[in-house]
Amino acid sequence: MARDLATKAELMKLARALHTTPEGVRFAASLEYEEIRRLRERVTAALYDEHRTAFQRVAAITRLLPTAVNVRITLRAFTPFLAARVAGEMAPERAAELANRMPVEYLAEGSIHLDPRRAAPLIQRMDPDRVLAVIRELVDRTEYVTLGRLLDAATSWIIRGVAATVSDEALLRIGFYAECDAQLTTAVSMLPAPRLREVVHTALTGPLDLRSAGLSLIGRLTDDRLRGRIAEYAAEADDDTLTLLLRTALDEDAADDLLTALTAMGERARHRVLALPALADHDTLARLLRTPH
Amino acid sequence: MRGDVRDALKRWLGPDAGVLDALSDQELAELHDALSAARRHQARALAAATDEAMRQLPPLVRASVGRIVGR
Repeated sequence: MARDLATKAELMKLARALHTTPEGVRFAASLEYEEIRRLRERVTAALYDEHRTAFQRVAAITRLLPTAVNVRITLRAFTPFLAARVAGEMAPERAAELANRMPVEYLAEGSIHLDPRRAAPLIQRMDPDRVLAVIRELVDRTEYVTLGRLLDAATSWIIRGVAATVSDEALLRIGFYAECDAQLTTAVSMLPAPRLREVVHTALTGPLDLRSAGLSLIGRLTDDRLRGRIAEYAAEADDDTLTLLLRTALDEDAADDLLTALTAMGERARHRVLALPALADHDTLARLLRTPH
Repeated sequence: MRGDVRDALKRWLGPDAGVLDALSDQELAELHDALSAARRHQARALAAATDEAMRQLPPLVRASVGRIVGR
C-alpha cells in the first residue's frame, strides 16, 4: 500500500511534537512512515518525561485536597497547558473527576497538551457528553492532529456522537490524522450507510486535502468489505469527478491507494472506472504504471 | 559526523532508538537541532506557566508549593 499520504500525515504530527513546521522536519522525509511514527513516539516520550517529577509532585498534592478545591485552584492558577501535564500524572479516575467540573474551552486547550500515552484512560472515564463537547470545540479550532490522536481513546458512544454532530469535512480531516488503522476502520464502520455515502461524496467533490484524506482513508482501512463499499460509492461519481481523483492520486503519489480501492470494488463498478477516458490517455496511464507499488 | 550529536540523541530518545541508524549525518544533526529547540521551548513554556501559577496562589501556600515543585 502506498504510504505517501500517511508519510505526509506523520511528518505533520512529528512537526507538532517538535513545536515546529513541516519544513522543520524535512530531515525525516526520507524515512518510511512507520519509522517517522516510531521517531515521533520517542520524541514525545522524551519531551513529556523530561519534567515529569515536578508534575508528579503537584499531582500528589491534589490527592490531599477535595475535588472542589482542586478545581478552584486549577482554574485560578494553572494554565490549561500546565493542568494537562499534571493531569497526565494523576490517577485517571481523579483526573476525570476534575475534568468533569471544568469548562469545555479549558479542557479543549488542555487536551492539545495532554500526554498521548495517558489520554485514553482519562477520556474513557470522563462524562461522555463533556468529551463530545470538547471534541466539538476542537473541531471549531481545526485541531485535527489532536482529534486524530484522541480517536484512539474514543468509545463507541463517543464515535457515534461525533459522527452525528461533526461535518463530513471534519470527519475526513480527523481520519487523515488517526493514529490506529483498526480504530479508524471501527469508526468508519459505525457511520450509517447514507452518511458514509455523503462523506465519500464530500471527499470526491472537495478541495485537494479532502480528496487526499479520502484516498488515505481507503488505503488505511483494515476491512476489505468496508473498503469495497466505499470504493463503490466513489464509483457512482461522474467522469470529471473520478478523473480529478485520479489526478490527485497521481500528484500526491497515492496511486496505490487508488488501485487498492479499484481492487476492492465489485466488477461492475471496476469496469465503470476503467472505462474513464482519462485512463485511455497514454501519459496518465504511464504515470499510473510508473508509480511504485 | 560528530559522535556527540548521535550520543545526545541516544541519551534523549533511548539507546535502542533504531530509527537513528536510518538517518544520514546531516539529518541527525537537523533532528538534534529540532529536538534541542523543542526542549528549550518546552522548558520556557513550563517555567512561564509555573511562574503564573505561583503568582496566583495565596502567599501562605506559595512557599510550600514552591518547595514541592522545586522552584
